[in-house]
Amino acid sequence: MQPIELAATQYGHRATFSAMANPCELLVETDDAALARHLGEIVAAEAWRIEQKFSRYRDDSVIAAIQHTTAGNGYEVDSETASLLNFAGSVFTISNGLFDITSGVLRKIWKFDRSTNIPTRKQAKALLPLIGWDKVEWQEPFIRLRPGMELDFGGFGKEYAVDRALQLAEAVSGTPMLVNFGGDMRANRAPTMRDSWDVGIESVSNSLPAGVVHFRAEALVSSGDSRNYLEKNGVRYPHILNPHTAWPVMGAPHAVTVLGPTCIEAGFIATLALLKGRAAESFLASQGFQHHVQR
Amino acid sequence: MRLILLIGLSLALASCSGLGVDPWERGVLAKPEMALDSEPLVSALDDHIYFSKEASSGGRSFAGGGCGCN
Amino acid sequence: MNKNIKITTALSAAASALLGVDASLAQETQAIGTWDFKMAALYYTEPDRVDAIEPAISARRQIDTDESLTLKLTLDSLTGASASGAVPSSDVQTYTRPSGSGSYTIGANETPLDDTFLDTRVALNANWERPLGRLLTMNLGANISKEYDYTSLGVNALLSRDFNKRNTTVTAGISAAFDDIDPEGGVPVAFGVMRPAEEEQPRAGSSDDKTTADFLMGVTQVIDANSLFQLNYSFSQADGYQTDPYKVLSVIDASTGSLIIEDAAIGLPRVVAENRPDERTKHGLYGQYKRNIGGDVLDLSYRFMTDDWGIDSHTVDVKYRWDLGSGYLQPHIRYYQQSAADFYRGFLLDGQTPVAGDISSFASADYRLGDFTGVTTGLEYGRKGSQPWSIAIEYYLQSGDEPDGKFGALNDQELYPDVDALMFRIIYDI
Repeated sequence: MQPIELAATQYGHRATFSAMANPCELLVETDDAALARHLGEIVAAEAWRIEQKFSRYRDDSVIAAIQHTTAGNGYEVDSETASLLNFAGSVFTISNGLFDITSGVLRKIWKFDRSTNIPTRKQAKALLPLIGWDKVEWQEPFIRLRPGMELDFGGFGKEYAVDRALQLAEAVSGTPMLVNFGGDMRANRAPTMRDSWDVGIESVSNSLPAGVVHFRAEALVSSGDSRNYLEKNGVRYPHILNPHTAWPVMGAPHAVTVLGPTCIEAGFIATLALLKGRAAESFLASQGFQHHVQR
Repeated sequence: MRLILLIGLSLALASCSGLGVDPWERGVLAKPEMALDSEPLVSALDDHIYFSKEASSGGRSFAGGGCGCN
Repeated sequence: MNKNIKITTALSAAASALLGVDASLAQETQAIGTWDFKMAALYYTEPDRVDAIEPAISARRQIDTDESLTLKLTLDSLTGASASGAVPSSDVQTYTRPSGSGSYTIGANETPLDDTFLDTRVALNANWERPLGRLLTMNLGANISKEYDYTSLGVNALLSRDFNKRNTTVTAGISAAFDDIDPEGGVPVAFGVMRPAEEEQPRAGSSDDKTTADFLMGVTQVIDANSLFQLNYSFSQADGYQTDPYKVLSVIDASTGSLIIEDAAIGLPRVVAENRPDERTKHGLYGQYKRNIGGDVLDLSYRFMTDDWGIDSHTVDVKYRWDLGSGYLQPHIRYYQQSAADFYRGFLLDGQTPVAGDISSFASADYRLGDFTGVTTGLEYGRKGSQPWSIAIEYYLQSGDEPDGKFGALNDQELYPDVDALMFRIIYDI
């Protein structure tokens, strides 16, 4: 268990730690340092718990267990994993198959390290038989993948962690607080010491903020290619992959920021907008969530 | 007898009416301060005081133990 | 051509299903295999009467997901004096202590208070909660309480079943208690006349006992995401010795209303030991409503009790927990009203006093069986966090009308004075 750092701020306290390869923080409006630390520990513990349980890079995660157990009925999951799999199924349907947690197997050929290593169309097509939520046998509580298939909760793992961490912290104290995991954030209520939580949105071109969002009690998720991408011959290949083609979605905005009632909803809308490529803006306009797009 | 009918009536009413929530709406109800007996130690201390000062006891739960104070 | 269907409703339902199910797990459940300790202390004081200090410690072990064991140890240390049931008089009075040796003096126009009770009580409670099925829970409890003149042993069992997506819970339970009463100086003869100290007091034996059987039935119902209520019916049957061995009634001259003096040399008035029926059946109806109002919690309850001693009571309790972020403030009001027992008397008239040993007659001047109203007002402040604590101060005022039938010299006395008490309470969760 890594330590968390606590600092007093103008409006209360700020607890910081590292999780899911991101800087994470909890802003809480309280002068009580002990309470702030306690809440920070709760939030960090939940972030690390979810990271460890659902990481596809760890041997001891539920994902590894599911991917290794393809015999018989498959793997029997617990109620939390079942809820996440049900959610994955729901968003697969809602997005007409664009949002698919089985597309994780594409990491084998797409490594978004800002290099020029673009796979061939043939390599991409070869992986298509291993992609598709409809190929998964999910009969609660048993899940069975076809050999070679992989699951990736990365599409909503961080957002889920923010929502869960905030719920757990709220069970202890109703004081205004904001949980922020690397740009995916959510507040339980409007701050009392100022009008709103002020958040800077990272610009895609330089370190100047592209804008400042003022929000009260809701979630904010930013999605985009500013960190993970490949570039060759002047064309940028973003890390949002279309599971039908095994190819990145071209023509998508560089960054999309969405405000919603929960992180998981805001995150889904943001990701889906990127998956719509050139149609991102019209999609966002039709959904009614406050948003910000950078091209 | 009337009391038994009252309980039975509320049970029948409750199960076939629109009362209740779905499991995912229980966030507030799950808070410790929303439990019907949210501070059992306080209830026990209070019950003991009132048991020794008044002629009534119990109602919410079983009285936890007799004493020679009444 | 791109047709953008609004998906936010379906998305919201999917998100609720995901986060909501886990929200119910997100209560502050104790980690399995750990002990949680809570300490409490109550200081209770009636000006000029009883003082009590009651420390308690409880330890809860989370054995498995829904299984727990709670142990509680309570100490009750009482000092001071409580009303004996005798009436005040314009003369100085002397009474014999219950032990039979020693006496105490009451000043003119003062309520007779017996200060013999320097008593300490120890009580131990255990409760084991365990699921018997997906929707069925069982609670088994035992308690033992001991003070120098009273021992009580009890067991109880409760069964709860959930219905209707766990929105409705039906509970049924039974309990049994066995009490052994071993009064200082022995069990007095009913209506036996108090003798001067050092003389032999009328005694019927050294100890007696009482058995109590209780039955409880209740329904808890969730109304909406912010509120729920509970309705309980309770039944209690007590058989055995229910008289207070230390309480007496004054015998009054039927024409003058003055005390009759039993022994003029020492100023001992005539008082007789009280006697209560050895059977008592009680019925109770209890309702509680709790509602979340924007982070605050309103707690309302009402209890009606009636028994075959003629006592009816109403209790209304209101608490409002005002959330302050890292703490809370909770004002509290309790209103209690009871009607007197059929055999409650302020005093007995000479010539109409049952003879010593008449166990089929009942009379008691214990003010706690009279007609009175008790109002409690209090305020609690608490802090949340990893080691929550709370402090509270409460004021309790008992006031009742004078008993019927006052006449003559009794009209100069207050037979039912107000009794008030101050309580301080502190709880600390380690």
